[in-house]
Amino acid sequence: MDNLLWRSSKWASKLVAMLIACLALCWVAIPFLWAIGNSIKSRSAIFERGAIIPFLQFTPTLDAWKEVLNDPQAINCLFSSALVGVGTTAFVLLIGTPAAYSLARFEFRRVKSKDITLWFLSQRVMPPVVVLSPFYILLAEFGLIDTWIGLILLYSTFNLAFCVVIMRDIFRDVSKDVEEAARMEGASLWQVFWMIALPLSLDGLIVTAFIVFAFCWNEALFASAVTSQHAATMPAFILASRSTRGVDFNFAAVNTLLAIAPPVLMSFFVQRYLARGLSFGAVKG
Amino acid sequence: METIASVQSKAERGFKYALLAPSVIWIIALTFFPILAAVRYSFANYVLGEGITAYVGFSNYARLLTDSGFWYAIFITVIFVGITVPIEVCIGFVLAWIITIGVPGKKLFRPILTAPLFTMEVAIGYLGVTLFTDQGGLFSTILGALGIHIEWLSTASGGLAAAMILDIWIWTPFVFLMSLATLSAIPNDIFDAAMLEASSHWQVFFHVAIPLAWPVLTVAILSRVLEGLKSFGLPYALTSGGPGTSTQLFSVMADLTTIQFTDFGRGSAMGILYLIMVSIVITFFFKQMRKRID
Repeated sequence: MDNLLWRSSKWASKLVAMLIACLALCWVAIPFLWAIGNSIKSRSAIFERGAIIPFLQFTPTLDAWKEVLNDPQAINCLFSSALVGVGTTAFVLLIGTPAAYSLARFEFRRVKSKDITLWFLSQRVMPPVVVLSPFYILLAEFGLIDTWIGLILLYSTFNLAFCVVIMRDIFRDVSKDVEEAARMEGASLWQVFWMIALPLSLDGLIVTAFIVFAFCWNEALFASAVTSQHAATMPAFILASRSTRGVDFNFAAVNTLLAIAPPVLMSFFVQRYLARGLSFGAVKG
Repeated sequence: METIASVQSKAERGFKYALLAPSVIWIIALTFFPILAAVRYSFANYVLGEGITAYVGFSNYARLLTDSGFWYAIFITVIFVGITVPIEVCIGFVLAWIITIGVPGKKLFRPILTAPLFTMEVAIGYLGVTLFTDQGGLFSTILGALGIHIEWLSTASGGLAAAMILDIWIWTPFVFLMSLATLSAIPNDIFDAAMLEASSHWQVFFHVAIPLAWPVLTVAILSRVLEGLKSFGLPYALTSGGPGTSTQLFSVMADLTTIQFTDFGRGSAMGILYLIMVSIVITFFFKQMRKRID
């Protein structure tokens, strides 16, 4: 960026700034590289000193990957994670987005739309351990322990408020004039929502979907509490493996990579609106 | 005309309530009733399969409040948040500032520096075991080569420090992302004008950048504190709460009490007490959000 502040800087301070930025890149990269490196090492190469560069210093092998991908439970957990993540996201958007639109466009008689929004937000910031017992008991009573439906039910509850708050903020950016023009042309309220507001908010909708999905994918407390085998997601699987296997470098590396890859890769494609979404709309842009 | 308007507004009323109702009902049914249920369980003895066997008054609470383990968990959780959040805020903001004012390659830095934010805490915790173990772990090997030996995973302070380092790795990007969005939205002219007036970069940083970004920074800090107080996956996967119970952050302890030991009465009381304590932070957060939401 060409601004006065940067141009007027001494070369030494520019150098320091660039150095800090590069250090930050390395710091961020280290765990990723460590995991990738360990995932392609043989068990003996792991503890060899100076085995850093593949092919040159050690012979890479896919044994660890094969072992994990041949484990039916690992595959099952990846599948559960994906299914629960997608299911929750779909459901949350389905009932949260209309509510968000309603709060963005209309006022209510007794309570201000803003106060309803804050009420939704209050649900989001509560520490989840508060409802650990009641949710466990609820799921146990309905026979939903260790089921996908049970997890989707819980995750929908945690993410619905988020979706309402953030989508309301996005909908408020859609010009009212466009909507009113459509109304004049005879479009119904539903058509205005479905055919105008929603398509115009698509970017925001995608970011919301991504954040909800990432939350479900990464959630550990309830995943480990209410699942054991059938519906166990990746966090539950990793926590379980950690206690049965102890420190296993290959296994940890491969599972870490499998577990973090989907949301991290997706995040590269939804950069716009991310800050806004994660701050509940407190940051514009 | 009047009749058309009133028909329209009637349709509008039906429409807006129909859109809002499912979400409101869902949250009431699945958040407010569960919290009430938690209050009820906290006064009871709950046995899985049998239900509430007896109401025990305040005894769950009394036992917790006199249990040093409970206070220890709260203490280390507060320490955990108190150390990680300031570091995350400082590093995140400075990085955002450096990249806003001119380090080339913003398009490259932003996605890479925010990537840790979307990693799974449990996975990073488990990977952290291999980073910090003294049998061939990366950190121990590097520090060992420098002659420094730290018992990361076999002591309480080492385990907490390791968890904090990884927490900082994951969450600094959050502050970075917020700060970058805010600083980028400030017109360049403002910094240019400030630079002409100010004698040094530091003055621009402290007297222009920080004050302008402060409102968003407060929201970021409070969000971080609230999320930090919920920390579960990372410390649990890294140390399993050990050695002993010395690195059990609050959520880890509550989870073990409730799920492992199936003591739902005590677990509920823990949750309710925690909610009361955390509500101080929640109040501050709401004051800020009230200003930011229109």
